Amino acid sequence: MILVYSAIVLLILATAYSTVVSFRHKPEDAQPSWLFPERPKRPARIIVGFVTLVLVIAVGAWIKLNVANPNTQNSALHSYRFLIPEGYTGWVRIEFEIPGAPALPIQSSHTMVKIPPSGTLKTSSSEQYGAASDDYASYSNDTVRPLPDSGPEKRVWGKITGELQGPGGNRKYEEFFVGSEQQFKSQTLPPKPKE
Amino acid sequence: MLPFVLYFVTAMFTGYHLYALMSLVVYGVPVNLLELVGLLGAFALLIAAYISLFRPRAAGRVALIACLALWCFYAPAIANFVRARIHKPAAVSELRSLKATALWTGASPIKGF
Repeated sequence: MILVYSAIVLLILATAYSTVVSFRHKPEDAQPSWLFPERPKRPARIIVGFVTLVLVIAVGAWIKLNVANPNTQNSALHSYRFLIPEGYTGWVRIEFEIPGAPALPIQSSHTMVKIPPSGTLKTSSSEQYGAASDDYASYSNDTVRPLPDSGPEKRVWGKITGELQGPGGNRKYEEFFVGSEQQFKSQTLPPKPKE
Repeated sequence: MLPFVLYFVTAMFTGYHLYALMSLVVYGVPVNLLELVGLLGAFALLIAAYISLFRPRAAGRVALIACLALWCFYAPAIANFVRARIHKPAAVSELRSLKATALWTGASPIKGF
């Protein structure tokens, strides 16, 4: 909140100052004061220009090193590709950070989440947070077909990310419903997780 | 240097605040047009800071216009914030209040962010 309050206080000051500077009538023989100084001398302007240049270069370098370069990005952050059994209808649940469970494999920048026919997958991998575009597909023996998660043919509904506190510690999970809109509306609540 | 420092620091604070609010768009929060106007105002204030090094009076006018653009966002935001604080009806409003505070500060109420 301190950022917000500071921004408002500064804005009030800047508004008041710019209003006075814009509308006051300056007498011919008025001496410059600390409040209404003359324009800065040439060395001061050069220093400001130099500092600005350094700042712009530093910000540009930071963006190039931390954002634009994929090698330095958080390598753990991949979008999920959910593979759901062909014809599956119902709630899908992925439980994260389960000791002893297999980790989620990564293939071509996607974290592959292959859901078993039971609809519940346990993994030792951690849940990922951040902006990413997940995609969904259904699989049978040999074929993988995309599963629409938007539009009139949408088959994926009600995605939930949650955390449960239990005797075994915190359990992080993700759930969503696979089916038609009518099926989703008739079964809105996901099944209660087992402890 | 006072006008430069004042305009520059104000532009940085307000600009960062508005940027933080607008970055919530990646979590599905819709962008408010007033936020865009405010961000434009912060940018204009930054320009005014540099103009003030050469023409302080002209910079004052640019800064005033920029501040008015910023107030387009901050005035309704403050009004809503104060109204929410004064007319706090019941405990049920706590969640709404929390959400409003999170949006106001740029923090996200979503777990993990």
